[in-house]
Amino acid sequence: MLLSNYVDAFTTASLGVLFKNTMIVGIVSTLLSLVITILTAFAFARLEFKGKELLFAALLATMMIPGELFTITNFATVTNLGWRNTYTVLIVPFLVSVFYIYLLRQNFLQIPNELYLAAKVDGTSDLKYLWKVMVPLSLPTLISITILKMMGAWNSYIWPRLVANDEAHRLITNGLRNAFTDTTGDVNYPVQMAAVALVSAPLFLVFVFLRKYIMSGVSRSGIKG
Amino acid sequence: MVESKQQWKAWIYLAPAIVLLLIFTVWPIVNTVAMAFMEDYSGLANIGGETSFHFGFGNFTKVAQNAEFKQALTNTILLCLITVPLSTVLALLIAVALNAIKPLQKALQTIFFLPYVTNSIAIGMVFAAMFNVIGSVGTRRPLISSYGIVNDIIRFFGGNWVNWINSGSEYWANMFVLIVYIVWNALPFKILILLGGLTSINKQYYEAAKVDSTPRWRVLTSITVPLLSPMLAYVVITGFIGGFKEYTSIVGIFGESMGPVHEAHRLNTMVGLIYDSLASNNQGRASAAALILFGIILVVTLINLWVSKKRVHY
Amino acid sequence: MKIVLQNLTKIFPSRNKKSNEEVVAVNNFNFEIPDGKLIGLLGPSGCGKSTTLYMISGLQKPSSGRIFFGDDDVTELSTENRGIGLVFQNYALYPHLTVKQNILFPLQNLRGKDKMDKNAMLDRAYEAAKLVQIEQLLDRKPSELSGGQQQRVAIARALVKMPRVLLLDEPLSNLDARLRLQTREEIRRIQKETGITTVFVTHDQEEAMSISDMIVVMKTGLVQQIGKPQEVYDDPANLFVAKFLGTPPINVFSGRVKQGKLYIGEDAVMEFTNVPDQEVTVGIRPEGFILDDNGPLKCKPVNVEVMGRDVSIVSTHGASLNPLVRSIVNADNRIDITGDFVRYAVKPHKIFIFNKETEERIYFEVK
Repeated sequence: MLLSNYVDAFTTASLGVLFKNTMIVGIVSTLLSLVITILTAFAFARLEFKGKELLFAALLATMMIPGELFTITNFATVTNLGWRNTYTVLIVPFLVSVFYIYLLRQNFLQIPNELYLAAKVDGTSDLKYLWKVMVPLSLPTLISITILKMMGAWNSYIWPRLVANDEAHRLITNGLRNAFTDTTGDVNYPVQMAAVALVSAPLFLVFVFLRKYIMSGVSRSGIKG
Repeated sequence: MVESKQQWKAWIYLAPAIVLLLIFTVWPIVNTVAMAFMEDYSGLANIGGETSFHFGFGNFTKVAQNAEFKQALTNTILLCLITVPLSTVLALLIAVALNAIKPLQKALQTIFFLPYVTNSIAIGMVFAAMFNVIGSVGTRRPLISSYGIVNDIIRFFGGNWVNWINSGSEYWANMFVLIVYIVWNALPFKILILLGGLTSINKQYYEAAKVDSTPRWRVLTSITVPLLSPMLAYVVITGFIGGFKEYTSIVGIFGESMGPVHEAHRLNTMVGLIYDSLASNNQGRASAAALILFGIILVVTLINLWVSKKRVHY
Repeated sequence: MKIVLQNLTKIFPSRNKKSNEEVVAVNNFNFEIPDGKLIGLLGPSGCGKSTTLYMISGLQKPSSGRIFFGDDDVTELSTENRGIGLVFQNYALYPHLTVKQNILFPLQNLRGKDKMDKNAMLDRAYEAAKLVQIEQLLDRKPSELSGGQQQRVAIARALVKMPRVLLLDEPLSNLDARLRLQTREEIRRIQKETGITTVFVTHDQEEAMSISDMIVVMKTGLVQQIGKPQEVYDDPANLFVAKFLGTPPINVFSGRVKQGKLYIGEDAVMEFTNVPDQEVTVGIRPEGFILDDNGPLKCKPVNVEVMGRDVSIVSTHGASLNPLVRSIVNADNRIDITGDFVRYAVKPHKIFIFNKETEERIYFEVK
């Protein structure tokens, strides 16, 4: 029976727990990340403060540094904070993405300044303007960011492997790689491939339905989600 | 912009991002540079790390003298030098072909873009399965139950099967599998960028070329490539940066042993070295390795920029 | 609600960091805008008219001087608390909201004692929509509207919260010629109906003259003249105002006064009792010429343009500071331009003389 491979895959790799963990981390980190990105991009696009240009340039400069350079210290930081093997460690360190801030700021800048002035005349507070005008007008970009961020959680491997490799918090990619590498000689390929199919299916579905947003987001990025 | 004296308001909006950036981005930069010069240092005192240390270049020399360093550096550079040009040329040809056919363009674009959204570990495992020979390979009396799809194809055309990734496999065979996988993985992004560039080229250039009855290859080399050169430069530069950070694709195929069973770590890369140092709780050496990698990427990027400045037509 | 501008000044710091040149956008503007009137701020681009409007709105803060609405000093009050309506040049409608939602937007921001319930808001929105005649468009998105319709929505949005003051920034510049004519009448009607003190900015003198109760002519931050449109046209304070108002524009000549006589080139066109001898600049409105075979001003004819009721005669004159001299005469005149010269007499109230250096008006009495 073909289906038995899938059942085996589900139990061998305890895919249920992996799915659950990945969804929790993906959804929470996406929501928080969106809030932070929106607030920051708004400040850079619409508010006046001293050192704005300099700060923004500094942010962009950090994009050139390889991520591994951060990992070393962050590994120590989260260990000293006692965050190892928690959801927090999978969510918090990556909430701020300079690239998403840049993407959204560019989008915010395209919204004519007159709308902001008009909202001022209409007696709108900054926060309300951001929520009622800027966010709806930037929806495509925000959707792109959401998808890329979710895909990031789904595909992340190195960091979760490093800091949360216990059964309770393991993420899908990590679990997939680990579940079938214990044996050196005889790997049960049909079962392993069934697991691969199960893990890949959601990505395919997301891609088929939201292709437009993914491609427009990626074509401006250069980073794999 | 509305004139406002309420500067503090902007800082409230920025506060969450800045706090997180200070902890997880700014501090690591400072700390990594510092740690790289602290020999025998481990930041993890509470799990038995070494905290007595002295300042010096010891970490750098230890990284450089590490037997694996030369191997990792060679692997990384070799992979970069082969996969980046290969994937760029392939992506260019595919993008030009995709741009030329109108009817199924959207559907084909989707198919070519699919690898991008796949999980690189998961697909690495699929690649491993395709190249895997099942049985006791590499022993004196091989007992084979399956040669893997790739070998089946080779045998179908009358060739000899190859031990691609199993125990006893050769270095070049490993590299071949890796290169196929990396190129395949790198194509979608490059195609997307180049296709975007192609669609924005003014059609009149091509019409003019047609009027002058320019042969096809000449249209490609004299019109398309020069006009596409900013995108090509972008794709090559990001390709090299990504190439020097190659790690997960090797884990995907060979697992965390970073090599076939009989010779683990043979396919280690620069990033792999950093994680090895981390795993052995040697923060100082990991920092030094990260800085060396950063230095290499910086130099390569600068060379790329210098070359593209001469060759790219904006 | 009257608006009082007191010594209003706006200085922008220099954009170029190396030079310390400041730009004085508005220089010491004093004006009391009477209650319920429609005022046109008029001038070429860069004259400070928009800056003045933005200072009244509170979107820009004056460098010095004060602004009063009635007896309230609003200089330090932020835009949202001034109770103004502002219509932007490109309308600034929220593109993702329907017409109705756009008009409701300002009402939904009201807080405290001004807070309205839903039905009251809807009533007010319908009322505003009715006033600008867009009741049937309420469920459309701005992108589905023509320029003129968008303009009306913008006005409705500005009026819906019953502002103390209505401000319009180049309200007609994005409309085509016919719509512009129609819309400016509309603005006049709405302003009359609501009685809200209204200030609008334009670079189009015809637009300003046709609907304003009063116009303010500005140039490089300085107010040149304030008055009723006809008064300003008939009695310009200086050469700039004379040149800026009127289509076709005023004809300008270099001339001189000698022994009480005004010479344009060799032609003595007029005699004064009170002007000392000097070099002057002479302006003659196109409608100030009278065809007269014995007239003193001799021009070389070039062309005749028939405009229907009137005829425009295009000619040249050696002392003209413009390449062509343009006169407008009644079409009933027999027009013969086959001769070497066309000769004019001039109407004394259509001719102005200005100091050659200061370009200030020199007032004369005809002998």
